[in-house]
Amino acid sequence: MLKKITQTLGAGAFALGALASALHAAETVKVGVLHSLSGTMAISETSLRDVLLFTFDEINAKGGVLGKKIEPVVVDGASNWPLFAEKAKQLLEQDKTAVTFGCWTSVSRKSVLPVYEQNNGLLFYPVQYEGEELSKNIFYTAEAVGQQATPGVDYLLNELGKKKFYLLGSDYVYPRTTNLVLKEYLASKKIPAANIKEVYTPFGHTDYQQIVAEIKQFAASGDACVVSTLNGDTNVPFFRELANAGIKSEDCPVMSFSVSEDEFRGLPTKDLVGHLGAWSYFMSLDTPANTAFKKNFFAWLEKSTVPGIEKKGRVTNSPMVLSYVGVYLWKAAVEKAGSFEVDKVRAALESGVVFDGPGGKATMQKNHHMTKNVYIGETLADGQFKILKSYEGVYGEPFLKGTFK
Amino acid sequence: MLRTLSIFLFLLAAAALSAAPDASRARLLAALVAPADQQVAAVRALVGLEDAALVPTLTAWRAAELYLVTTGTASPVPALLAPLPGDADGRLQALAVADGLPVKDPATGQPLTFAPKELKALDTTAPLRRAIRDVLEVAGVADPSPAVRRESIERLGQSRKADHLPLLQARLAIEFSPAVRSALQDAIAFIQLADPAVEVRLQAITDLAAAHSLAAAARFKEQIALPADAPGAASPVELAALKTAVKTIEDHWSRVNFFGNLFRGLSAGSVLLLIALGLAITFGLMGVINMAHGELMVVGAYATFVVQNLFAAAFGPGSLAFNFYFLAALPVAFAAAALVGLVIERGVIQFLYKRPLESLLATWGVSLALQQTFRLVFGPANVQINAPAWLQGGTALYDVAFAYNRLFVIGFAVLVVFGVWLVLNRTPLGLLVRAVMQNRQMASCIGVKTTRVNMLTFAFGSGLAGLAGACLSQLGNVGPGMGQLHIIDAFMVVVSGGVGNVLGSVAASLGIGVTDQLLQPVLGAVMGKILVLFAIILFLQWRPGGLFPTRSRSLD
Repeated sequence: MLKKITQTLGAGAFALGALASALHAAETVKVGVLHSLSGTMAISETSLRDVLLFTFDEINAKGGVLGKKIEPVVVDGASNWPLFAEKAKQLLEQDKTAVTFGCWTSVSRKSVLPVYEQNNGLLFYPVQYEGEELSKNIFYTAEAVGQQATPGVDYLLNELGKKKFYLLGSDYVYPRTTNLVLKEYLASKKIPAANIKEVYTPFGHTDYQQIVAEIKQFAASGDACVVSTLNGDTNVPFFRELANAGIKSEDCPVMSFSVSEDEFRGLPTKDLVGHLGAWSYFMSLDTPANTAFKKNFFAWLEKSTVPGIEKKGRVTNSPMVLSYVGVYLWKAAVEKAGSFEVDKVRAALESGVVFDGPGGKATMQKNHHMTKNVYIGETLADGQFKILKSYEGVYGEPFLKGTFK
Repeated sequence: MLRTLSIFLFLLAAAALSAAPDASRARLLAALVAPADQQVAAVRALVGLEDAALVPTLTAWRAAELYLVTTGTASPVPALLAPLPGDADGRLQALAVADGLPVKDPATGQPLTFAPKELKALDTTAPLRRAIRDVLEVAGVADPSPAVRRESIERLGQSRKADHLPLLQARLAIEFSPAVRSALQDAIAFIQLADPAVEVRLQAITDLAAAHSLAAAARFKEQIALPADAPGAASPVELAALKTAVKTIEDHWSRVNFFGNLFRGLSAGSVLLLIALGLAITFGLMGVINMAHGELMVVGAYATFVVQNLFAAAFGPGSLAFNFYFLAALPVAFAAAALVGLVIERGVIQFLYKRPLESLLATWGVSLALQQTFRLVFGPANVQINAPAWLQGGTALYDVAFAYNRLFVIGFAVLVVFGVWLVLNRTPLGLLVRAVMQNRQMASCIGVKTTRVNMLTFAFGSGLAGLAGACLSQLGNVGPGMGQLHIIDAFMVVVSGGVGNVLGSVAASLGIGVTDQLLQPVLGAVMGKILVLFAIILFLQWRPGGLFPTRSRSLD
């Protein structure tokens, strides 16, 4: 009721202003950026804001979307999950953004999900996650478990001939769900339960003595490996302890799913050399699309006037590229639909738009996930990955729990 | 050092051999430049190759220190880099793998010099490095270094290939080092487990049980689990031997784990103790609920970071002197944290001695302000601290692993506790501190300058926090939020040890550390921690004053 009155007021009393804004709106389309720019997640999420702003500028320079320039509305989720929901509401109801790119942690996504469903909004989510979710209002450019964990384990099984798996993770939903799927997957590959060990540590855990001692005995037979879903800076004490115990990557490699090039900026890479990673993009990918992407992004950073943006020592990583791919997929879908309307854009996206991105060809599927390439890489001393194997065109399936039984 | 030595040996050997270019060197060179898909096979084919250049070349390749040198229009030459005699610029000469001689400029005939950055190291992949390792293992059986021999032999044993048996037995006949001999015996026994003769197999089982081999236990268990009619199943005599062997090995390892847990508990307890010791003084003795204690540790950690950078800038990050930055960082960390503590005491706490709850709020505010300051000065991301060489790696005694940094922390904690005891009980300042803490008014009446004593005591406690921060920088992360991770632990130790008693903190931290490490393998890190907290709650219900309650008017 109140809303209606304000709307009437707005239309009546401020006719001139409304007219001006309508004219303005004809030239631009508002797009939301919802990431934590402060708090614990800021370190990771700020990079995504940067790459999104770069992508918008890149698209605007080439004429925008359907002739309209993208006008970013950047809000700060502040690593505070309820605040994410409030900011999402603001983007949808107040700013009327056509689409939002955002969220990093699963809990932030879960907290905005009802807001997007209620307002029939559109959200692109770019970070590896545990699956088991499918909202008609969210498009997941992220790696599902089957696009990171199972190819990673395939590599360990088939290429390295490993037979014993130590599943180590931080204690929250992503590692637990991933490991649940992995255990079923390993069982389907005839790995006996006795050869699988599952261990969790709290966030910010620093004392890995016990776990490393256990890994050392676990790996005494020479055919063991560690599959790590440890998140953030707990990796530092873990890898340091591992190096001190003399466990080498050739004897017992660690396959990490949460350590990308961006995280290496704060890790002593020396201790991680030779250990493995699995992502759908590596900065070291040697393709023309990736070379151009890196060149343009770094050139943009150099000139950028965004306050407080970090210009030195920047890298690109998978969540950044998946954000970039998300924007282009949305653009392609809007152009296909000929409209910014959420329902039409969704239908276009579901029909399978394609974008040839820095990580290779990405195709949106009917189930809101993407078919994309998956790469296995090995850490080098300079914090980059050397690509060992690529799995092309891996289908994105969010519901893996129980499928390997 | 080892690298220089191996290059030197290579030089010697190459000089001896360079006169006769032989087929084996050609095979080695061919493997280096083989196409990517055939390279693994080509390297594996080098097993047993008798060539002096084999080991140094492959070792360098595996470590990404083998370079392809292009001269003029000729095809690239694989070469190792070696220091140029009498050259001070750090330029290196390239010794070609083919003849061990320096690569020369084709135009002038002068040896070329390089910096490692100018050259591209020859690539390796994990499968390739494994192939290199396998070749080096066979070569390593005759290596001059006992450590290399031992490691190579252990791996050959684990590979369980009968074709390695003659090589190992031949080595056993001439081996003199006892450690290598025992490794050889294990490896031979491992391979002999598949011997056709039953006596040999039984002997091998006994040998492996005596050597407490975990890999053997896993193998034995597989064999025991086989159904009686399966191929490769053990005969009844053998089965009994296998079962005894498994039991011997498992008993040994449960003892190892017990002592290992004790050590790990001691080390975890020492970390807790270092964290809590400063607080035992500022909160325990002075009664100030200092929420900024964690940030004082961070000051120490960042001080270490700064000293590290200064050393790296002054001496170079790879130099010998750099390794001692940590020793220099300890006093700096103490001083920096003590200074910040002094400022906090003068600026905030001195007005709040009689109002503990306000001091809680005020110091919490100080802690937030300090965190933001760290962010502004050092950035929001963690900073990298490189452990000095002498704190990396570890040693093993009776199969229990001792990491050097953990040993250091234990030793350092003992020293610090001793130092605190000395200061409190054997110095005039300590006497004054104890007097003021027992009864501030009375001390003041008899002429003790209580404000000065308060100031110095708080600075001392803060300095101890700085030392803890310096130590933690060697174990975990250094970032603006690091203090928050440890503040709860610090209060937990001081409260359960008994407020007002430094000895209580020592006992409590060791108790908590050992309990935590004993529970962890059974319950996991998360449950272990919860259970420890729960136990502390119950303990404080039973003894509210902590382990060693102190009766003091200043605390009532």
